[in-house]
Amino acid sequence: MLYIKCPFCGYRSQKEFAYGGDGTVKRPELNQNISDEKWNEFLYLRKSPRGKHIELWHHVAGCRQWFKVQRNTVTHEIFQTTKMNEEIK
Amino acid sequence: MQRYSIFSLIKNAFSKHEKWDLAWKDPSPKKEYDVVIIGGGGHGLATAYYLAKEHNITNIAIIEKGWIGGGNIGRNTTIIRSNFMYDDNARFNEFGMNLWRNMSQELNFNVMFSPRGIINLAHSDAQMNAYARRGNSMRLNGIDAALLNREEVKKIIPMADFSEDVRYPIFGGLAQPSAGTARHDAVAWGYARQADSMGVDIIQNCEVTGFDISGGKIQGVRTSRGDIKTKKIGLCVAGSTNILAEKLNMTLPIETHLLQACVSEPVKPVLDGVVTFGAGHFYISQSDKGEMVMGGDLDGYNSYAQKGNLPTIQHVLTGGIALFPFLSRLKMLRTWGGIMDMSMDGSPIIDKTHIDGLYLNCGWCYGGFKSVPSSGWTFAHTIAQDRVHELNEGFSLNRFSKGYLLDEKGLGTKTWIS
Amino acid sequence: MSQSHRISNEGLLNRNKEISFKFNGKKYTGYEGDTLASALLANGVHLVSRSFKYHRPRGFFGAGVDEPNAKLQILLNGHSEPNVNATEFELVEGIEATSQNCWPSVNFDVGAINNFLNKFFPAGFYYKTFMWPKSFWYKIYEPFIRKTAGFGVASIEKDRERYEHKYEYCDLLVAGSGPAGLSSAYAAAKNGAKVILAEDKPRFGGSLLTDEVTIDNLSGKAWTDKIITELKEMPNVIVKNRSQVFGYYDHNMTVMFERTGDHIKDKPKYTPRQRLWYIRAKEVLLSTGSIERPIIFGNNDTPGILLSAAAKEYIKVYGVLVGKKPLIFTNNDSAYETALEFKKQGIDPIILDTREEHSSELIDSVKNQNIKIRFSYAIIAANGYKKVQSALIGKLNKDKTKFENSETIQCDCICVSGFWTPMVHLASQSGNKLKFDDQIDAFVPYKSKQNETSVGASQGTFTLKDTLDDGFKTGFDLSKKITNNNNSTSPPNVNEIKKNPHDKFWCSPLPKDKNFKRFVDFQNDVAVSDIEIALREGYRSIEHVKRYTTLGMATDQGRTSNLNGLQLVANVEKKIVPQVGHTTFRPPFTPITIGTIVGREVNMEYMPTRKTPMHSWHKKNNAVFVDAGAWKRPRYYKQGNENLFEASKREAKNVREHVGICDVTSLGKIDIKGPDVAEFLNRVYTNSWSKLPIGKAKYGVMLREDGIVMDDGTTTRISENHYHMTTTTAQAANVLSHLEYYLQVVWPELKVNVLSTTEQWAGAALAGPKSRDVLAKLFPDLDVSNEALPFMGYTEGNLFGVKARIFRISFSGELAYEINVESDYGLFMWKKMIEIGKEFNINPYGTEALSTLRIEMGHVAGPELDGRTIPYDVSLEGLVSKKKDFIGKRSLQKEAFNNSDRQKIVGLVPVDRKTNIPEGSHLVLDKNAKLPNPKLGHVSSSCWSFENNNPFSLAIVKNGKNMIGKKLFAVSPLRDSAIEVEVISSHYVDHEGKRVRS
Repeated sequence: MLYIKCPFCGYRSQKEFAYGGDGTVKRPELNQNISDEKWNEFLYLRKSPRGKHIELWHHVAGCRQWFKVQRNTVTHEIFQTTKMNEEIK
Repeated sequence: MQRYSIFSLIKNAFSKHEKWDLAWKDPSPKKEYDVVIIGGGGHGLATAYYLAKEHNITNIAIIEKGWIGGGNIGRNTTIIRSNFMYDDNARFNEFGMNLWRNMSQELNFNVMFSPRGIINLAHSDAQMNAYARRGNSMRLNGIDAALLNREEVKKIIPMADFSEDVRYPIFGGLAQPSAGTARHDAVAWGYARQADSMGVDIIQNCEVTGFDISGGKIQGVRTSRGDIKTKKIGLCVAGSTNILAEKLNMTLPIETHLLQACVSEPVKPVLDGVVTFGAGHFYISQSDKGEMVMGGDLDGYNSYAQKGNLPTIQHVLTGGIALFPFLSRLKMLRTWGGIMDMSMDGSPIIDKTHIDGLYLNCGWCYGGFKSVPSSGWTFAHTIAQDRVHELNEGFSLNRFSKGYLLDEKGLGTKTWIS
Repeated sequence: MSQSHRISNEGLLNRNKEISFKFNGKKYTGYEGDTLASALLANGVHLVSRSFKYHRPRGFFGAGVDEPNAKLQILLNGHSEPNVNATEFELVEGIEATSQNCWPSVNFDVGAINNFLNKFFPAGFYYKTFMWPKSFWYKIYEPFIRKTAGFGVASIEKDRERYEHKYEYCDLLVAGSGPAGLSSAYAAAKNGAKVILAEDKPRFGGSLLTDEVTIDNLSGKAWTDKIITELKEMPNVIVKNRSQVFGYYDHNMTVMFERTGDHIKDKPKYTPRQRLWYIRAKEVLLSTGSIERPIIFGNNDTPGILLSAAAKEYIKVYGVLVGKKPLIFTNNDSAYETALEFKKQGIDPIILDTREEHSSELIDSVKNQNIKIRFSYAIIAANGYKKVQSALIGKLNKDKTKFENSETIQCDCICVSGFWTPMVHLASQSGNKLKFDDQIDAFVPYKSKQNETSVGASQGTFTLKDTLDDGFKTGFDLSKKITNNNNSTSPPNVNEIKKNPHDKFWCSPLPKDKNFKRFVDFQNDVAVSDIEIALREGYRSIEHVKRYTTLGMATDQGRTSNLNGLQLVANVEKKIVPQVGHTTFRPPFTPITIGTIVGREVNMEYMPTRKTPMHSWHKKNNAVFVDAGAWKRPRYYKQGNENLFEASKREAKNVREHVGICDVTSLGKIDIKGPDVAEFLNRVYTNSWSKLPIGKAKYGVMLREDGIVMDDGTTTRISENHYHMTTTTAQAANVLSHLEYYLQVVWPELKVNVLSTTEQWAGAALAGPKSRDVLAKLFPDLDVSNEALPFMGYTEGNLFGVKARIFRISFSGELAYEINVESDYGLFMWKKMIEIGKEFNINPYGTEALSTLRIEMGHVAGPELDGRTIPYDVSLEGLVSKKKDFIGKRSLQKEAFNNSDRQKIVGLVPVDRKTNIPEGSHLVLDKNAKLPNPKLGHVSSSCWSFENNNPFSLAIVKNGKNMIGKKLFAVSPLRDSAIEVEVISSHYVDHEGKRVRS
């Protein structure tokens, strides 16, 4: 069971969190002309790297905040967690 | 090739079993092949076999990073079924069912295909209706299906929880009597042995390091055992698809996830077919060895680790006891994990790509085993003819952007919750 | 026969307490403190089981988790359990044990015919046969194979035992209480660390209980007791026996099971049977020790052949002699200790040592006792079928590939030692990369990935002094790292006998013309010849060998067979063991009861049950409940002998004619506040929210980014910056997460806050032509006229002193209101409404009537919004704004979503106006067409239209907009029905929506 440091609440067991997928996916701005290709990329294409992965988690059974996690997808080691408005270094 | 039979077994017994041939050779790669299949799993081995058998292409190499059959073909829960709602999935897998039924004889290798049926249990009328929709669709596609009521289910699995103090009572279920299980390793070995006998080179411990592409065309593949020239490459590396896609500068509608399974200690037969729980994610069958083979949810975050964590197993087994309270007393013997290509609609991709000579077979989610023969057969066709077969037309790479999704569960792109 | 093999001067048993039990129907006695195995051995019983494939007689081989053979069916507290390991199972009064996998008995087993035919059943034989004729596989071969497979019999009764879970955090978890574990736990605890010490066995001490050593002038046992007593008194230490750490997972999470119940006769009611501990330790110290590995020789599986350390443990811990004429077969010094123990009991063993003649302190002391040693000797094969009678032994040639001679010597047991294998399972599970140590011919932990350290035998350290020194140092170092304390404890003085290096000999060669089965893996009957066949056939990877031969795949997970298997593969392949590699160590370390993993989430506690505040009233009024996710909702209120159909028809009729009341508490409710709410709703919903006035509600549809409808519901503007959103019951949690995602991740600049208030409000829907009359009486001070509170209006009122929110929204197509009060007043509100509504014929209605009402009106719900439909499909395209952007809008441009024959919702009535159309039917042109019959769409929802007095259904049909008026067949092959239907509009009742506005 992963041990995840919520940037707001501190270390909590994985049971309190919900996974939110690839954190590098950026939703295109509203009211812009978006090509089919760009939209398809946003909706469906995922690099899913082996190794470091920046992803989102949601502290659903806690503070209900979404935040960023950098985690190794092979060892599951977590390197960093940050609030949404902070950058993963 | 030596034929396997009771007679060959007896004959060899008298020569102390010292005269058995190699099931497959262990050649070094040649300089050039007509087709290179990357990935010595079920899909890759089946593809090579059908290329040789159906399309007369035998100058083929299967290159495998580790040992053949070491990926998901050796890690799945061996369920074979064609109980799908979408026509593309249903017809494709029903085609496969026919290949399964004859596989032992065709491969002269007993893969122990055992059609003992599958029941998907329903725990509400709404769920019964959803299953009716799927089952009727199956029937209209010529696939066997039956809607069972509570009493009918009870006759088949009397040890399920039909008591009063149960959170989600069993209302009934959808059955596919012709579904079943097979001995997973045997499938890989059987295809390997026949492919080898037709001239296919099975090259193990050979890792792909890069691709040789020029003018938008495949020219060859670079491996840890040297460069190999070829005009056609078939990629069959579910679980590692994204790693190779990166080497090809491709990004695919696939996320890589971890799925665990577990078995109990072997006990005398108590459960005949495959049963899935409808009020949680849990499925179970009993192997010929007597072990209860159980699985359920993904671990739920991108992963390439072939090992998972206990809470997922706990969650899955909680569903298990809710369905079959007697499981509580059995002991869990072993857990293991496999890496899944989770596609964005839960259905696979078998298609050509924008690179000439590069063919893609991926996105099997956690249902690749049952599709090994149909996938190999259609992928071989796609590679040999350089066009998709009507059976795999729906599994196109561009169906996502165009909206022709095959989302059996209606869960959308959150691959980790499916 | 009364404990013929029990000795009086050794053993850690309570001899004052005799325990009687049954084995295969026969009564025996043992003592408190015995295992089932030691008690049977005390009675001279060796033959306890039959092997999996050949049904060969098998006896005890080990004395703990290493046991491959002795898996018995146990009847305990009225429950029968298969595959119980007799060497671990603590004896309790009255248990009944039986042998498994044999018929009619373990003494005479018909299945043993396989043994005589074994040459026809080599590794993988089943892949090569049973294929002809094809139908025989299904009908004869496989059913037979299934019947013969499996060990014990699973009881299919519901398990009524209690299992518990516990979560614990500590600085240092120590797994194993041998010398390494005791010393490190002690040093760490003394340095102020919070320590958990876990021991799998009932007794602490590990090898200290059996080895002749002194620590600070105390015996191993006495020193153990002293340390344990001290540890138990320390407040920062948890000491647990009968507790096995069985899994090492990510982020230093370890999992342990504690056997709390099975060893207690008449266990108190609320004592759990087992307890699962999730332990998050900052550091984990693995002191799991080592197990002896066998040397392979002919018929090495015969009952009476045991590991030498097990024989010693039976003497020292259980006071049991495994035989009275022992032959000891070893490649190292440690078996000499077993010989000395026999000698102490006045028994003269014979030692066969594969090494050339040499001397060591230990060997000399054995010689001094006149124990016969034969150097350069090995066992060729054991003789005896159900019990070893003698052994064919021989002198090894120089390079130990052949025997120079052979002779038979009598014996009644063989104690074998092939040196020691560190238990690296947990280290490997943690991600530790193992390395092969050729000093000890075994893998040892090498590179840690997590905070894990191995000490002692599990790290390949086999001397007590080094182990204790390491233990004290490591315990101190790890604790210092965590606590920053600096109180070190110095290790004690140790007296132990020095040992010579072992010999690499691991398998006796097979003399020419001999065909002895030499087993590598006992339980699965994997012999040397099987592995040789696999390799010969090209199954060369160790994983191929394992899978083809089933080596190491039995319930003991190959604890005694793995290394010898690797050694064999290496030899045949002309490699060294590290080149062959090892198979993966997977949790659990030993099989663990599934009930323990699951814990308390069983029966009604499988999932939480959410009940509305009005639940008790519903129950009292004969509600039949339906599960809606975790919620229990009244499906209908049964009157007399009504069935579902009759009741829901009555309830729906009452709504259409008078007034009904429905508990809608389970609908998701989200409180939304902030200056940017309107903008946010504009982005979340497909329709426009810019101009919603205060006191008005609006219906909205939200999409996923891929254009698929996610949910629908109403949102009401309560005040300037305060909104109240409702969602469907099923999607409540998802919608909240969805909103939070967009607010926190995508558009953090929006000043909006969302909060779930589903539990805070109880809700009742009042629907029907008389609903306004009821409302007026409920709120006498309030103007509830159509003008003051129009359709989609909102107001607040005082319901007999309780603040209420009143929404004029309708899901039934009738004039309707939804009233919310704080949850605690829910029941009060409900009762008041029933009481006041009485004169207007108010009646409660359940979800079934609710469905009927909504279907008739063409309102879509779950069956239509199934995660595959876009707004057009369910005729909600009118709510899709062309002007503004919103979540999922871009996806609506996808090709498939704009095909001219795109699917669309329609209504269906049976042509005969009588036959109900089953949900899940598909629409086809020709009901008799040949398969595959092309499907045009499916029936999503069906009801009996009270208004029109005939069945009516909703369906989603290809090219639906052009299908109105057409006749099709709704076929349900599953239900054997094919009904001719007419396609009509999906709005069957009140097309213009006059009633809701009346």
